[in-house]
Amino acid sequence: MINNPSHPKKGHLKSRDCKFTKAGIEYIDYKQTDILERFVNDQGKILPRRVTGTSARHQRQLSTAVKRARFMALIPYVTENLR
Amino acid sequence: MKNDFYEMTYILNPVLDEEKFSEMVQFVNKLIEDNGGEVVDVDEWGVKKLAYDIDKKSTGYYVNLYFNAPADAIAPVERNMRIHDDIMRYLTLKYDAKMKRHYELRKKGELPSLFEETEGEEESDDDK
Repeated sequence: MINNPSHPKKGHLKSRDCKFTKAGIEYIDYKQTDILERFVNDQGKILPRRVTGTSARHQRQLSTAVKRARFMALIPYVTENLR
Repeated sequence: MKNDFYEMTYILNPVLDEEKFSEMVQFVNKLIEDNGGEVVDVDEWGVKKLAYDIDKKSTGYYVNLYFNAPADAIAPVERNMRIHDDIMRYLTLKYDAKMKRHYELRKKGELPSLFEETEGEEESDDDK
């Protein structure tokens, strides 16, 4: 994730508009961990809307999806920073 | 009786062997069918590394399952799964219209991609 060029905090994603709205996504699936990982920071915390530009509706869906994925051990609850 | 569409993912104890895995999948499918449900699709992801340890185990055998069932079938199915020692986790979701549309797209492999760099989920799933 640190070397991820499209990480929302890396300035690459300058656009303020919602990625999910643009792609026409209706439901954020907890199984698609590759998408979810773009919207959490290195510690595994969900990034705020003001950083990612996600719309309110999709941010709500995203947070549920992340929490489901965490429950199923697909993505971690917490990550040690040193690795 | 009105049937709803459900998705269930569960994680099996990885210390079992192949034979036992398919036996367990059969057990869960039978459980659903005995309660008036109808299994639509079973997708076994196989042994995957867990993001954190569950019951001191770092891997798990994931099974992703889709089925139609009446609403009051879920409680007995979940109760049996909770009691069973080899099922470490399960998650049942009831699908609404949006989720069903997503499921259809996913089956056809026509999911809209969020980023230009992502080729498809199949490739990215492998390196995890």
